[in-house]
This record gives sequence, C-alpha cells and structure tokens, in this order.
Amino acid sequence: MQWTLQYEETWLHRLNPAFKLIFFLSLFLILLFVHNPNVISNLTLVPLLLVLFATGHRRKVIVLLLIPFLILFFSSASSMMFFGQGTTTWWKWGIIHITEESFFRGLHIGFRALNFALLGLLFALTTRPVFLFYSLIQQLKVPPRFAYSFMAAVRILPVMVEEFQQLRAALLIRGVKKKKGLQRVTQSIMLYAVPLLSQSIRRAHRIAVAMEAKQFNNKERTYYYKQTYSKVDIYFVLYIMAGFGLAYWVGHTFPYFGITDVRN
Amino acid sequence: MKRLKLSDILITIVVALVFGIIYKIWGPVYNIFKPFGLHIGDVIYGMWFIAGTVAVLLLRKPGVALLAETAAASGEFLVGSEYGLSVLLYGIVQGLGTELLFALFGYKRYTAFVAALGGIAAAVGSLVMDVAYGYVMDLALWNLLLLVGARLLGGFLIAGILAYYLVEALEKTGVTSLVRPASDKDYKALDQ
Repeated sequence: MQWTLQYEETWLHRLNPAFKLIFFLSLFLILLFVHNPNVISNLTLVPLLLVLFATGHRRKVIVLLLIPFLILFFSSASSMMFFGQGTTTWWKWGIIHITEESFFRGLHIGFRALNFALLGLLFALTTRPVFLFYSLIQQLKVPPRFAYSFMAAVRILPVMVEEFQQLRAALLIRGVKKKKGLQRVTQSIMLYAVPLLSQSIRRAHRIAVAMEAKQFNNKERTYYYKQTYSKVDIYFVLYIMAGFGLAYWVGHTFPYFGITDVRN
Repeated sequence: MKRLKLSDILITIVVALVFGIIYKIWGPVYNIFKPFGLHIGDVIYGMWFIAGTVAVLLLRKPGVALLAETAAASGEFLVGSEYGLSVLLYGIVQGLGTELLFALFGYKRYTAFVAALGGIAAAVGSLVMDVAYGYVMDLALWNLLLLVGARLLGGFLIAGILAYYLVEALEKTGVTSLVRPASDKDYKALDQ
C-alpha cells in the first residue's frame, strides 16, 4: 500500500485520478487490438520510461516491484509458446511443440501482459486512493455511498492486519498445532478466516450505522477535497499519443520480427 | 428488488477488500503453479472468483456479487497487482458471471449447488476475457480443453464449494443476522 511508502510528488501525481483511470482503461482496450509483436514490444517502453523515471519513488522500490514482472512475462508467454497452434515447426519434444507462429504469439502475450502490468503499476504508484474516490464522485458521478464505503473499508484493513497478528499470537500461546495437507486448509479457515471476516463484518455494520446516524445520505453534500482537470492531463495524453505513434512508426519501418500479425 | 443500503455496500466492500488482498498474494502463487503452461495450476485460479459468491451468499441481495468482485479486483489493483489494469476488467466480467447466475435463480436459492454454479459462471467470465486477451483459441485443442477444464473445476471447487462452507461457518458466528434481509419465515415467527 503506497501511502506507507515515501515518495516525492511528480507531475503524474497531479493528473486527475478519474480521468487517469478512464484513460488507462481505454489504453487497455486499444492494446487488445494491437496484433503486431514489433509494435507491442516498442509500446512497452512508453509506460516503462515513466515507471522508471517519473513516479518519484525510490529506485530501490521500483526495481523490487519490477522483479515479479519477469516471472509474469514468462508465465504469460509460456503456454502459448509451447502449446500454441502453428505450421512452421521449430522444435518438438514430447507434448511440447514450438512453432514460429506460436512462439511469436506467446511473445506478444508476454509483452501485452507487461504493458498492462506497467500501466497498472504506474497508476498505483502515482494515485492516492482517497483522491481517486473523491474524483470518482466529482467527475464521474459515482454515488457517494459507494465511494465512501470504499474509503472506510480501506481504513479497516490495517485494523484487520493487527487482529490477524493478535490471533496468531493467541493461538501460539495456546499451543495450537498446525495440521498437514488438506486439513491445514480447513484449520486455517476456522482459526483465521472466520474470526477475521466475522469481526470485520460486525465492524463494517457498526460504521455504516454510525455514518447514517451522523446524517450520511444521498442528498447534496460538500467536499473537503476538490478534484479538477488541469494542463497536466493534456501533457499526459500528448506523451502517450506521441509514444504510441512513435512505437507504431518504428514497429512498421524497422521490424525486429518477421511476423506482423500474431493471429492465424 | 431491494436497493442496497449503506450497510450492505460497506459490508460487501470490506469483505471484498479482504479477498482483494488474498487476490494479490495469489498472483505469485499462481505463477509458481503454472510454470510450463500445462494449466494444471488453473485449478487454483478459482480463488479469484471467491469474493463474488461469498458476498452474495452472505448478504443474499441483487447486485452484491458484481459489486464484491469488482471491489475485490480494485483492491487488488490498488495494492499494486502485477496483472495491472487487466484485473479490473476481469473482475467486472467474472462478477457479472456470478451475478447473472444468481439472478437466474431469482435471488431465491442459496444452496451449495447454486454457489458451485456461480463459481463456474465466474470461470466462464474469465475465459471470455482470456479469448480477447490471451488468444487462447489458438492453443492446441488438448491444451485448450485442459485450460477450460481446470478453470471450471477451480471455479466449482474454490469459488463454489469452499465459498459455501466458509459462509456456512460464518453463519454459526451469528453475523449473518446483521446483514440478511428479514425473510417471510421471520415475519411468520413474529405472528405466533
């Protein structure tokens, strides 16, 4: 959770959060229609540069967060590479059948997953959840009871972490032994999941009652934080558009791979 | 149909966020389980549908499954999921799957059987997303069938059966009386 991390605020933090969310989701949809592996590998650089240099977080943190992405790349790409359909066989061993088509399709899926992951990380690292929820209410007209429920729920999470540690300590003192195998699953559900969930349901119910007692309702309300659009939003769109344009141009003029469409 | 009250929404989102954290932890677990693309690990994929069924079994109201699954996905996303933005869209589609299935039963039946179908419906939702996202239709047929089979089985086992028993265990603690709408049976009990 990023509010526990130290970081400097950059221009990316000043983007309108709701706009950022909608814009990123439309990028996601656009990426689904990119079928050229040359283009998508170039496109990966667009969010990567921002993640590396513009989030205001410490380099160490960024590198640490990027490590799982390598595993993600491989695990997304592997099944399509090994077991995809294709005609030009490169390598066959038992059930593994790597063809030129399936290899590049796998590579493409890997890059696509990387793109989504980087965009997601960029969003998570540069957006304060509270501002996002205020912005959802103010710009996208999300009903306040949904947004405020979210903010309240986020605040409950640290309490639950504390409760979890307390539970663990209590069970340790009472000498509860860990069971093995499948019984371990049922045991941890009964010992951890049930008490944690039931307590937080009770807490959530109490909070809702308290909020309504304090006249939280659907009528007109005023806000402590005001979210607006600014020039930064335009700069961001320009950066993405330039990046995407360049990626397309380079991908088409200087292709690295022979395949330009990974679909059959 | 009853509109969701503030307490319904708040409870749904709190439960969903707890699962959101589990969803985040599940990412690396899943990636370790599926190293060579054989999709056996997809049985545990079912964990990613559990918020929807648990919430709707708990609160027994329309709209809860979709809200819970979307909220869990947003929670996973905000904590910094390595799947990034895709989890949001997957969450919405999976939640829709569960929601539609419970709607099909008129939000009247909350048995283990319906819960299991709800889990499977979410799995179908995730597969629909996979067709667009991962070109899964271009996998060799046996591999595709393995993926579909493992995914559905995971939805059935984890999001269906496990979710049902989790909620049953929660019922014993008495919290469900806080959240469920009063049934006809309750009103009849008052008449006596």
